[in-house]
Amino acid sequence: MTVSTPHVEAEHVPVAGPYRRMVKLFFANKLAVTGLIILALLLVFCFLGPLVHPTDQIHTQLADANLAPGTKGHPLGTDDVGRDVLGRLMIGGQTSLEIGIAAGLLATLIGTVWGAIAGYAGGWLDTVMMRVVDAGIAIPALFLLLVSATIFRPTVPVQIVIIGCVSWLVPARLVRAEALSLRSRDFVQAMKAMGGGHGRAVFRHIIPNAIGTVVVNATFQVADAILLIAYVSFLGLGVAPPATDWGAMLSKGISYTYDGYWWLIFPAGIAIVLVVSAFNCIGDGLRDSFEVRLQGR
Amino acid sequence: MNRPLPSLLRAARPLAVLGVAATLLAAGCSSGDGSAPGGGSASGGKPQQGGSMTFAMPPNATPNWIFPIGTPGHSASYNGAIRQQVFLPLYTFNGNDSSKPDIKAGAAELPEYSSDGKSVTITLRDNLTWANGQKVTSRDVEFWFNLVKYNKEKWSAYNKGQFPDNVAKFTVVDDKTFKMDLTRAYNPDWFTANQLVRMSPMPQAAWDIQQAGGQVGDYDRTEDGAKKVFDYLIGEAGKLSEYATNPLWKVANGPFTVKEFTTTGQVTLAKNPKYTGDDAAHLDSITFKPFTSAQAEFNVLRSGGVDYGYIPALALSQQKTIEGMGYSVKRWDGWAITYIPYNFNNPEMGPVFKQLYIRQAVQMSVDQDTISKVIWHDQATPGYGPVPQIPPSSYQGEGQKTNPYPFDVEKAKALIASHGWEIQNGVATCTKPGTGDDQCGEGVDQGTQLKFELLTQSGSTETDNMMQELQSSLSKIGVALTIKSEPLNSVLDHSPVCKPADSTCSWQLSFFGTSGSWYYPAYPSGEEIFATDAGTNLGSYSDPKADEIIERTTSSTDSTAMQEYSDYLAKNLPVIWMPNPAYQVSAIKNTIGGVEQDPMAGMTPQRWYLVK
Repeated sequence: MTVSTPHVEAEHVPVAGPYRRMVKLFFANKLAVTGLIILALLLVFCFLGPLVHPTDQIHTQLADANLAPGTKGHPLGTDDVGRDVLGRLMIGGQTSLEIGIAAGLLATLIGTVWGAIAGYAGGWLDTVMMRVVDAGIAIPALFLLLVSATIFRPTVPVQIVIIGCVSWLVPARLVRAEALSLRSRDFVQAMKAMGGGHGRAVFRHIIPNAIGTVVVNATFQVADAILLIAYVSFLGLGVAPPATDWGAMLSKGISYTYDGYWWLIFPAGIAIVLVVSAFNCIGDGLRDSFEVRLQGR
Repeated sequence: MNRPLPSLLRAARPLAVLGVAATLLAAGCSSGDGSAPGGGSASGGKPQQGGSMTFAMPPNATPNWIFPIGTPGHSASYNGAIRQQVFLPLYTFNGNDSSKPDIKAGAAELPEYSSDGKSVTITLRDNLTWANGQKVTSRDVEFWFNLVKYNKEKWSAYNKGQFPDNVAKFTVVDDKTFKMDLTRAYNPDWFTANQLVRMSPMPQAAWDIQQAGGQVGDYDRTEDGAKKVFDYLIGEAGKLSEYATNPLWKVANGPFTVKEFTTTGQVTLAKNPKYTGDDAAHLDSITFKPFTSAQAEFNVLRSGGVDYGYIPALALSQQKTIEGMGYSVKRWDGWAITYIPYNFNNPEMGPVFKQLYIRQAVQMSVDQDTISKVIWHDQATPGYGPVPQIPPSSYQGEGQKTNPYPFDVEKAKALIASHGWEIQNGVATCTKPGTGDDQCGEGVDQGTQLKFELLTQSGSTETDNMMQELQSSLSKIGVALTIKSEPLNSVLDHSPVCKPADSTCSWQLSFFGTSGSWYYPAYPSGEEIFATDAGTNLGSYSDPKADEIIERTTSSTDSTAMQEYSDYLAKNLPVIWMPNPAYQVSAIKNTIGGVEQDPMAGMTPQRWYLVK
């Protein structure tokens, strides 16, 4: 008896790479795409806008104080020292975005390295490092910011460093949790068996494999940093004039609430809401993209 | 009231000028012309005994002292205003009747000067006692005097050559009378108004101790003992949270005692049931509430959260609304000047500030008219010199009246350029060092840049805008101004009188005049703020001719001395003259009576009452 073996031809189904699947998943998320578009528009508005609508944001023009929107040359009116509000929104946005993005990335960098080392090392080192994190979290970031603002002159670089240094605690916890899981994985053990060092384990294996968590958290860190600088500026301890940021503009505008000068309040307020929402939407989209279970849908 | 300090705090309001009338007459003022401004009042209705009220303090003003001897950083006027409700000063003045001391609010009868003006005899009022039942005696005044004499360098109101240096001998005549022999003859009106108002009896029988729980003695009568007692009391005075409980501060003689004194600046005074004078409080308690900004205060005012508050200049459009809520709105003008001191001892910019042409250029860059109109909404008055610009007075010289340095940026720019400065990358840089007429001036090195740093008080949008306007104007003449805002107390702490080698001498310019920088007594002489080594001469301005003129204003009855003082300093620019804001635009509930708005920024809350 002969047995014939059926010939089965392998079915060639094109399989997308993991990064392509993530991109596809991200762009399938309408909110994330909306956030990305808003962010892009705000970046264009803040950094390219001054080329289209150049204004003098250095000198005051008291004769033009508090002009209403629509006044010739001032689509959004002027503030209480005669500076063009639309132009100031662009300049202030640059400050807010620069500080927010840089501080968010700095916080993520510090937190990632700290958490990865703590989680990988374990033992007493992990305990010590995480108690430091716990202690830091117990102190309100806003308090530290206000104290720092009274000690250092609040320039943009100083604000970036200060906010970055008070915001890295949460990402440190998240990455540490990832590291605790990753350190016992086979590929890490194999690397160690082959003589790999601790540094290689942390920076070539632990952190790259926690990148999903890191990237998602980074977007939230940026949003939080923008809010933090807005808080500090709202309290009068932001960057020194003539520089400004959206929080400082909002703070100043609030003084004129009872006068009905809405153009000193709404533009800056809306800008803050938009940029923070955009980063949060992008973060949500990235989180979904990195979620393995969703990639099979 | 004995607060020498300045400004800032309405600070200085010094003293009250004693018999101002006499002073005014002595200075040759015609009635009306030379008198201090009158204040508004809300004194209607019949007084009701009891009740409580809240009073809003200026933005960022946080009381931090109650001891009758002020030390640097603790001499703000609101400290003095609160303190003298608890510990009566020897003399105080009510600016609405500045012709004589407000005897009821003080501890002594009118002083009697010898015919040669070289001694003064003072009798204490005989109905005053401390809360422990002991009489207020001459020994209590001597106690204050001894502590000041042996610790004068630590006293914020100390000016070399003045009190207590100008008292050759202090003699206790009897329990109620004491005599002071002076080092030379003084104008009696000036001496009372500018010196005696600093004095304040202190309970010697309770406070003359060197440590907690120590025995009471006469330690103050020796230098070593006085220093120890002073240090102990200063230490206790630094514990703000204990003001309401520390037995030391319970020994009061004023119409109120401390019920609450928080480290965040809220103070509640309660009626002193043991007060034996004839100026007892009507209210059971009054709370002084601190605010971080004028806007914050206004928000509370709109909600009815304060009984006696104020409306920020930029919210004056809301006056009708506030009045509709049951408040009376009254402008409170101050007999004051507002300025930004230069720190002539700053190691970097001191030599630059010493160049008169630089100060002239800076002054010509201050657009006072526009600032007053647009930023202060007409609630400020341009100021051109050391004498309050309003109301017009015979103290003002012609030079000050006519503004010697009107706003002119182009002229200012040319003035700097003519002295060897070139604008490079927007900042003037010295290219011709030397002392010639067309050179930068003595001590200014080649390459020096006109980069100034300004420390300014936070909490006021008007002040923020004014500083931005100044920054903008100065940038047009090549001066790069960096602004840093801090709460008022921090600004004062960070801009002390200093020597170039001091670590505290890094400040260059300082502004603390949101409510006026310096409140004068009726006799607006400048020995406290512009004389060499004066305690409140923050920037260490020193000019021999100015010293000589100031000396004459305090010792001579020549009416031209004050005018000469006015003219000389208006032109010599010891500070940057700035618009002087109204003390505040008050909003007072219609249910409150007895309020007098003292142009010299004093308060008599014991006379406030709820209307029946």
